[in-house]
Amino acid sequence: MSTTVTDATVPPLAPTTASSTLRVVRASRLPNWLTPILAAAGLGLLAFLPAFAPQSETALFVNVFVLLTMALMWNLLAGYAGMVSIGQQAFVGLGAYGVLIFAKSGMEPVASLPLAAIAAAIIALPVSLLVFRLRGGYFAIATWVVADLAMQVIDSISAVGGGTGENVPGLSSLSPAAFGRVTYFAALAVVALALAASYGLLRSRLGLVLAAVRDDEVGARSAGARVMRARRIVFVVAALGCGAAGALLAVSQLQVQPASVFNVQWSAEMIFATLIGGIGTLEGPILGTVIFFVLQQNLANDGAWYLIIFGSLAVLIAIWAPKGIFGLIDRRFAISLFPLGHRVEHLSRPASAPPAPVAANPTSSRGGAVGAAGPPA
Amino acid sequence: MPPLLHLQDLSKRFGQVVIADGLNLEVEPGAAVGIVGPNGAGKTSLFGLISGDLRPDHGAVRFGGRTINRLDGAARCRAGIGRTYQVPRPFEGLTVFENVLLAAQQGAGAKKNASYALAGQALFRARLSAEANRSAASLGLLQRKRLEVARALASRPRLLLLDEVAGGLTDPEVRELVEIVRAANADGVAIVWIEHVVRALMATVDRLVCLAGGRFIADGTPTDVLASPAVREVYLGTAMDLEVPA
Ligand SMILES: Nc1ncnc2c1ncn2[C@@H]1O[C@H](COP(=O)(O)OP(=O)(O)OP(=O)(O)O)[C@@H](O)[C@H]1O
Ligand SMILES: [Mg+2]
Repeated sequence: MSTTVTDATVPPLAPTTASSTLRVVRASRLPNWLTPILAAAGLGLLAFLPAFAPQSETALFVNVFVLLTMALMWNLLAGYAGMVSIGQQAFVGLGAYGVLIFAKSGMEPVASLPLAAIAAAIIALPVSLLVFRLRGGYFAIATWVVADLAMQVIDSISAVGGGTGENVPGLSSLSPAAFGRVTYFAALAVVALALAASYGLLRSRLGLVLAAVRDDEVGARSAGARVMRARRIVFVVAALGCGAAGALLAVSQLQVQPASVFNVQWSAEMIFATLIGGIGTLEGPILGTVIFFVLQQNLANDGAWYLIIFGSLAVLIAIWAPKGIFGLIDRRFAISLFPLGHRVEHLSRPASAPPAPVAANPTSSRGGAVGAAGPPA
Repeated sequence: MPPLLHLQDLSKRFGQVVIADGLNLEVEPGAAVGIVGPNGAGKTSLFGLISGDLRPDHGAVRFGGRTINRLDGAARCRAGIGRTYQVPRPFEGLTVFENVLLAAQQGAGAKKNASYALAGQALFRARLSAEANRSAASLGLLQRKRLEVARALASRPRLLLLDEVAGGLTDPEVRELVEIVRAANADGVAIVWIEHVVRALMATVDRLVCLAGGRFIADGTPTDVLASPAVREVYLGTAMDLEVPA
């Protein structure tokens, strides 16, 4: 553990402590090289998957990546920014229709994917002006109303196929194998970016604002935190991610239909994956998405049982493990692959001295670790 | 030069309770002013009006020469108004350092290493350096009050509003707190300190005002204000010790 990531070595605290230097590290109990290594290994493994897996398998992974992207976004919204949205399908649908509209005007569907996501994010700005006037349950319902409204509007535009939707042009020329690879790598890129963006955002100054607001909004404001601005940024980022997920749906399914891409089921699934995995952690949505698909693959043929088991699992988790399955693991082992906390080291002791003992901080949800800090002077 | 803080004809009531009834007050840059007044007089609410937690019914709050009525709490903090809360408001999911870092990054607008240095400095001044990595939830009352002060200092205020930071502390703890506040004041930070612990105020401020019934009923040197008949009258029959220490 002597190899903590050094973010900063800063000048002495004050003239009277000239011998003491303060260093701030971002670390958890796990060695800091583990996360990049695991990320690189995971990404590398997934990048080679199409080389040996059949196309039905890669198609399944596209769906996994789509849901994981959505779950990561919902986790940012509800788990970190306190905004329980049940209308994220608005941005899923807009992203999907963005691809259709750009493709119809002659763009490569895959190339239009980022544009479609950005379009969804831009629309999220005026939407935030509207729904941010409401809090809690009213906010949730407002997001749903907005999603329904978006569907109604698209539904009524015959130029994009009205209620029956349309096929996405421009991809049918590819061979099935090439098409499978293209959609797979597009989805992999989106989910990797979504994870990196979530982590980057939570580690940034904005992440600290969100954590403080979660604890005490009034206190955070009095310390200068612009709460509305923070929430708005998260809302727009979540729309960007959900828009990208919707764009992936359009690309992988080769067609869009309002009732399908604007379906509230998308919100239900992202919420389910986040809650069972563990809300308010980055590991949670990943775990939850995997569990969701394992269940779905094994139960989908059992008709109603499928829904009953999903529902009971959600209820059991909500009652017995409000922090989800990763919450249980974290409580037991205090491992965080995505450390968000700051740990201070006073470097007044000799450089060869052992580093401060590190123990996971059970009360810090940010993976911050407690160490015995040296005396200030 | 305009006063740093200027309350003009400030009024606020909660239903029948009059908090402020046309208050006027000027605080010069670098000043140290104490506020006393009976329980429920509206002292904390007055801080709310200044820091932006509360909106006045009437009148203006001016800071550094401009009217800040329309600014919210965050903007006022960024403009240079730091405050503490009578009932501390630590971010319990964060460490002590992170609590203060938030103010350094948001209130003072410092980034990266500069914010770490500023937060470290504020912790040092508030004598919390040794607790930097502790969870804020684990702090006792004294340390919670110091954390309030450290957080306010980290936002690099020009005006520091202290709300009963000495309440409930032992004598040596009060003395240490006074030293912390005096050091900030010596650095040019103007102090407005609400306090029932009069000996803490006596050691720190050179001007005292007394708030009662929504008005300032006395304003002057601490000795004069505590001796004034109007002030003695509002405290008559209360437990508060208004004896001026020798
Ligand atoms: N948000 C509110 N809504 C209604 N009444 C309030 C509110 N906040 C405070 N009050 C009332 O306003 C009066 C003044 O309260 P305030 O906390 O400002 O007094 P104070 O001078 O700080 O008292 P103390 O010395 O006990 O801290 C009290 O009667 C209180 O009950
Ligand atoms: Mg009060």
